Amino acid sequence: MRIDPKTIIRFTLEYFDSIRDLFDVQLADGIIRKESASAIYEKGGSHIEKQLQEYRLVRNVGGDFELRPEYFHFLKFVLEEFRPLLPEHIEKYNHSITELFRKIREEIYGDVTILNSRIKSLAIEVREFVSTVEHNTLSLLEQTRALKANADKIDYREKVQRASYWIDYYILPLNRILDVSNTESIIHKLYNLSEFVNNKRLNFHDKEAQDNFEQLYIQLLQTNDDLLKQSKILTNELLPLIERIRTESRILTGFITYLRNPYKTKIPSLFKRKQYSPYSSNVAINTKAYMEQFMNDEAIIIDDDFDGGNNWIFNKDYFKEKLKEQLPVENFFNWCNTTLKEEYKSIETDKLFALTTLLFEEDLLLEFDEKNKKQKLKTKEYTLQVPTIAVSNHGIF
Amino acid sequence: MEYSKNHRQIVDDLMAGKFVLATNKNFLEIKEKENQYELFFKASFGHDLIVKNDYAFLCSEETNEMLSRDVCIFFAILCYELDKDGRNFLDLINYSEFEYASINEYFDNSAYIEVIKNNSKLKDNASRAEFLDTLHRRNIIDKTGNQKFVFTAVHKEYIDFAMELAKAKTEESV
Repeated sequence: MRIDPKTIIRFTLEYFDSIRDLFDVQLADGIIRKESASAIYEKGGSHIEKQLQEYRLVRNVGGDFELRPEYFHFLKFVLEEFRPLLPEHIEKYNHSITELFRKIREEIYGDVTILNSRIKSLAIEVREFVSTVEHNTLSLLEQTRALKANADKIDYREKVQRASYWIDYYILPLNRILDVSNTESIIHKLYNLSEFVNNKRLNFHDKEAQDNFEQLYIQLLQTNDDLLKQSKILTNELLPLIERIRTESRILTGFITYLRNPYKTKIPSLFKRKQYSPYSSNVAINTKAYMEQFMNDEAIIIDDDFDGGNNWIFNKDYFKEKLKEQLPVENFFNWCNTTLKEEYKSIETDKLFALTTLLFEEDLLLEFDEKNKKQKLKTKEYTLQVPTIAVSNHGIF
Repeated sequence: MEYSKNHRQIVDDLMAGKFVLATNKNFLEIKEKENQYELFFKASFGHDLIVKNDYAFLCSEETNEMLSRDVCIFFAILCYELDKDGRNFLDLINYSEFEYASINEYFDNSAYIEVIKNNSKLKDNASRAEFLDTLHRRNIIDKTGNQKFVFTAVHKEYIDFAMELAKAKTEESV
């Protein structure tokens, strides 16, 4: 006896809490154990079991139960409970689509009825494929976001393990499925199919088949957009998000390793400022270093045979007296020339310079005319250009 | 060596232990005369000048350099606590403003409370405020208000440090 669909919907609505409990158990364990089912029925009312059987919503598996796949998928849809499917599961569409496409192409001029059935089946497969990919991407994104938000406060090591697991078993294989450049990918095959269908929708001898090709073509165009969108979510959001979890976990691994032994690990070098303060302990050391540079530890040895060299000592009083005796002198440097020659027979530069210090004596008056030409004075070492300076007694002396 | 216009300022800043940030006009001068400045600091003071894409700084290989150690501990604990709180710590450190109060909350409730209590610069709110002032003077953080700050690009130095440690740990376990 066929059950009125509204009865099933009403039943689902009325006992939704119990049905959801059954759904959750099956989602977690893959099956509803007899004990779990009994507990749920006891809570919700024992008649539920009878009605579930009557409406063919559950079936017995050994002594246990399961919700029928169609009902389970319906609940999954309304509850948005999509678990990521393994890419191997999605790959089954590769086989079915490839096979249907091959048969359509090979038997394109065969029986039109079977051709139309195959076109419709192909459309269903493509639709299911896209839907599965969409659910998978969204559920992976949800799982990854939950992992990133770390709502369960799991340890960072477990977090990186889970991230690696999602990447290796779900995300990267899904990426391969959506990779157009891979000739074996489903999406690549859909492109070829689209090209073929486009050709046939424009040029085919049977009107009904041509219409079916037209519908399939429109669907494939939409499929293309949908898959492109999924691919973008995958590459722009999912992969960076999961890569971020990995990077952050690596950084945390480093910091946690460091915190285990913060005072023994080699750290990045920073600049240590040098500050000198009168109260600093460095002052004593620095002062000592400063004073030591003036301490001459080398022994001084005086040689008995040392004759004192020919160091000339300027007897200022003697030469001043000599000068004063001859004042006024019209040309001081001529006087130097004559005096040095008289005293030493030659003119040495240092002796000449020593004599020039007499010019700074306060009791001598100097006169100097800038217009006068400079004269040359030859010493043993140099030829000097000297001015003409007149010297006379200053004041009453 | 032909000295740049801001030579004195550059030397004063670097010798004061500051990081010269790319946002500072002096950074461009350092970058343009990188080799000259490297030689200058090495020959004059025996210090190494490090010039990165976002900042430049001097470093001295002194084993009793404690600030860097405190900064490492500070970053390590902050990143750990932010992650534990489910936050994107890299994003936060890169782009967000922090308040002293939230930092204090993370540190006061940290799993690493023993490390914190044994560190004179991080042990309580007052020490941490002083520590953050030091970081500000060194251009590791930029104070945006009395009790607020953002991290400068210098934080990368410590993130790289953590990455290197993690790499070493992985290689060790292989």
